[in-house]
Amino acid sequence: MDDRQGELSIGRESDVIVVRQTVRKITKLLGMGLTDTTRVVTAASELARNIFLYAESGVMRWNVIDTPSCQGIELVFVDQGPGIPDIGQAMQEGYTTSKGLGMGLPGSRRLVDEMEIVSAVGKGTTVTIKKWNRRS
Amino acid sequence: MENDNISVIKVRDVLMVTVPPDPDDTAMAFLQEKVLMSMEQFRAKGVVLDISAVETLDSYFARVLSETVQMVILMGGKTVIAGMRPSVAITTTQLGLSIGNAETALNVDRALDMISESLQWR
Repeated sequence: MDDRQGELSIGRESDVIVVRQTVRKITKLLGMGLTDTTRVVTAASELARNIFLYAESGVMRWNVIDTPSCQGIELVFVDQGPGIPDIGQAMQEGYTTSKGLGMGLPGSRRLVDEMEIVSAVGKGTTVTIKKWNRRS
Repeated sequence: MENDNISVIKVRDVLMVTVPPDPDDTAMAFLQEKVLMSMEQFRAKGVVLDISAVETLDSYFARVLSETVQMVILMGGKTVIAGMRPSVAITTTQLGLSIGNAETALNVDRALDMISESLQWR
């Protein structure tokens, strides 16, 4: 397995655990601090769970990203689910359409450095998050 | 499943529950039920949920914890959540999660003290 990039399928609840373990392994590789690791692993857990809850299946792609000055991790969550009709609404605190707590998207946003959501109703959703390694 | 990792032992009138490091949803549901069954079986008055091994606490996990606290209340017991790691406390708060009206303690020792006091042990 290439440690710098890869893809995981998400189709069952237990895949959320695999997502967490994979992200943790990458952040360790990058030498990321414990708190930042916990932040990005938790965000990944929420986003993987969103796929499982709303779209049933999808994938998480991971990349180690580099700039001349620092390294980071990019996680892309892709599904072909129902899509998000109103991203603004989905980003509101407490908004939920399922059995979650409505914290998934806005909460995850606060745990990472960058988040981008692209969604089309009936086609699917792609959520990209980035976390830079403060220590590098 | 990892369900065998969930240990529930009774110390005096209190159930000591060790939550495994990275439980999946099934394990958490199992834990919840095991705690409640043990409340009845051991006639316990309180529960200490030791989460000191837990590295990731997401919204589902938090919901199961706060539900469990509520369920134990319904059964006449008191729960203290013990040993949350600093990184988990930071992340949980920033994620916007709350664990309801659960009481918390720095570690299992202090959690036992808290329950003892509220149960008026000597």
